[in-house]
Amino acid sequence: MFKLSRRSFVLSSAALAASTSIGGAYAQSNDTATLQLAGFGGDAEATAIGHAIERFNKKYPNVKVELQMDPISTGWGDYVTKVLGQFNAGAPADVYGTAIETFQAFASRDLFLPLDDYVKANPEFSDFAPSLLDQSKYKGKQIYIPIGWNNIMINYNRDLFDKAGVAYPKDGNWTWDEFREVAKKLTIKDGSGTVTQYGYEVPNQNFFIQPWLFSNGTGALNADWTGSNMLDPKVAESLQFLHDLIHVDGSSPIPGSGAPMDNQFFAGQVAMISRGHWIVQGAKTNGVNMDIANVPSKTSPDTVIGFGGYAVSKTAARPDLAQALITELTSAETQIEEGVGGGGVPGRKSAAEDPAFGEFPPSAGLYYASLPNTKAVPSPANFQEVEKIFIRYYTAIMADEVSIADGVKQAHDELEASFARLKAAS
Amino acid sequence: MTTATALRPRSELSRAQARVGYLFIIPTSVLYFTFVLAPVVVTAILAFTYFDPLRGTKWVGLDNFIRFFTDRRSLQIFWNTLRFAFFAVTFNVSVGLILALALNRAMPGWLLYFFRLAFFLPVIIAAAFVAIVWSYFYGDDLGVINYYLRLIGLPGVHWLTDSANAMTSILIMDVWKNTGFFMVIFIAALQGVPKNIIEAAVMDGTPAWRRFFRITLPWISPVVFFCNVYCSIGALQVFESIVILTQGGPGDATRSLSILIVEEGFGSYEIGYAAAISVSMTLLILVITGIQQIVSRRLVQQ
Repeated sequence: MFKLSRRSFVLSSAALAASTSIGGAYAQSNDTATLQLAGFGGDAEATAIGHAIERFNKKYPNVKVELQMDPISTGWGDYVTKVLGQFNAGAPADVYGTAIETFQAFASRDLFLPLDDYVKANPEFSDFAPSLLDQSKYKGKQIYIPIGWNNIMINYNRDLFDKAGVAYPKDGNWTWDEFREVAKKLTIKDGSGTVTQYGYEVPNQNFFIQPWLFSNGTGALNADWTGSNMLDPKVAESLQFLHDLIHVDGSSPIPGSGAPMDNQFFAGQVAMISRGHWIVQGAKTNGVNMDIANVPSKTSPDTVIGFGGYAVSKTAARPDLAQALITELTSAETQIEEGVGGGGVPGRKSAAEDPAFGEFPPSAGLYYASLPNTKAVPSPANFQEVEKIFIRYYTAIMADEVSIADGVKQAHDELEASFARLKAAS
Repeated sequence: MTTATALRPRSELSRAQARVGYLFIIPTSVLYFTFVLAPVVVTAILAFTYFDPLRGTKWVGLDNFIRFFTDRRSLQIFWNTLRFAFFAVTFNVSVGLILALALNRAMPGWLLYFFRLAFFLPVIIAAAFVAIVWSYFYGDDLGVINYYLRLIGLPGVHWLTDSANAMTSILIMDVWKNTGFFMVIFIAALQGVPKNIIEAAVMDGTPAWRRFFRITLPWISPVVFFCNVYCSIGALQVFESIVILTQGGPGDATRSLSILIVEEGFGSYEIGYAAAISVSMTLLILVITGIQQIVSRRLVQQ
């Protein structure tokens, strides 16, 4: 009982300090401890997290926070392996930052503490979009506290639209057919038939592809992520649409050919590209006159969302301090700093509405406006395997190595085998 | 005699020497057991388990091996690895030898060093960096090679996005990257070929091709054998250049066993299954090296 009331006191004072920005007038805690914090991301996140730790240390001057950052350069699968290795070795961190792709992989192994009481004790978490908090639960328990998120939008080069005399999508909305026509108009070939400018890059990463399934009212997995949905004819229809963009219209190269096309987008060789908010930083640096539009819809306006979150390790010696650190890591200040630096759209509405965040691109408001029409990237506990199976068949289909009918059937069989193994293991 | 030797009391000196001897080998033995032998034994044991301490590790017998040998993907990945190794060894060693022969002749010193450096330079550049540069060369429409092909009126080639070409494209890069290493080894070997024998053959009017096959090649055959074994072990473990160029695709067209092991073990956390593939791959390398040893007994001049 004592612990609970003490924690509530610490957290409410931390929340008060964060929300009112009282510089240097905090009631300092005498707690002495060391917290291990495992964060992820690039420079934007590392800087923002560093500042959050500085603010935390103003209240807890005797609590040392040791930060280890992982750039996730080789995908979430490797991060899962690394974190599981730390738990297996008996040396886990106290606070973990991670992404939705890994939520079930960790939660199904019971690695983190439920944070329901902590969220209840922090009324200011109501600032978060409710869907983010909901999607951070596992089996009804709040395991993660969301941070920045990314939904896939169509990023387009306005200069190339102007040059081709193509109108921008009105209010950022369009259909598959309208998008296809625009992509065709924005594809330019030289005299020898070499494409010098592609209308669109048919994506080659699982996260970027999902909107083309969701906007057709389907998905690679069933609704509760317990099995394959590849045999749904709508999946084949979505794949056919992307396949036609490449092989019928010639508006896109075959995905996977050459380096990722972010640089070609910045260089004006690709007019449209499916990416999240993180591309904004590169567009700014390269002076690309970019704007965003919603994902074209076929039967649904849905796009995909992925987001990060913090969790407290079950082995944390001082969960109260770990939660106080999370309060700082998820504060509006941290989120604005991460968002402006290109680390994703702030999970807090107040941070997303900050003028600094909305400066660029011109339709930045669409990020938050599209939030109700988002579905989480399918992330079952065997996400790593599911993603690889899907991408392998997807790239083979797009490269004409296997027909769509055979590809979806074989992918379905492999996905089902993977889910059967997961069931047997758990 | 043997019994008498065994029973002979050891002198204090020989005992002291033995103790010192053991002390000398302890550090390397500890390192060998810890970092070489123990991981091999642990991998072999893991291959028979479902390993996940947080969910409960289970003994699964031959399940992992059965899964590997019955998976329809395994055969293709196995074949990809063998095919890549065969061609990588053939071209790396033969091109390296041809370059060495070309440079093993009288020419101005600076020119010789220039050529040697030019061919050896790719070897010292990191494979990851090289692969990224080559991915720009191999691009379909925006790639450098297709740009020049189209400039001279030829159609562009799907270098990495067509399964018929993808492995060849990776091989081209691999040979460009590694053949310089074998060239340097062959240059050293060629300098050991006795000049008097060659000169005698020249005076006898032996044609150049016969001098090569009857004198030079037999003389350097142990080095050729070493290069073959060395190159095939490396080629069977090919990883980063494929990952960066094609990620093993399209589909499974360029996936190698090493890539599969890393994907399963560190991507999917299927540690037991990855261990089973590793054991299978080790056995494959052992078999291939064994075959090379047998063949070498007939071909290599001692």
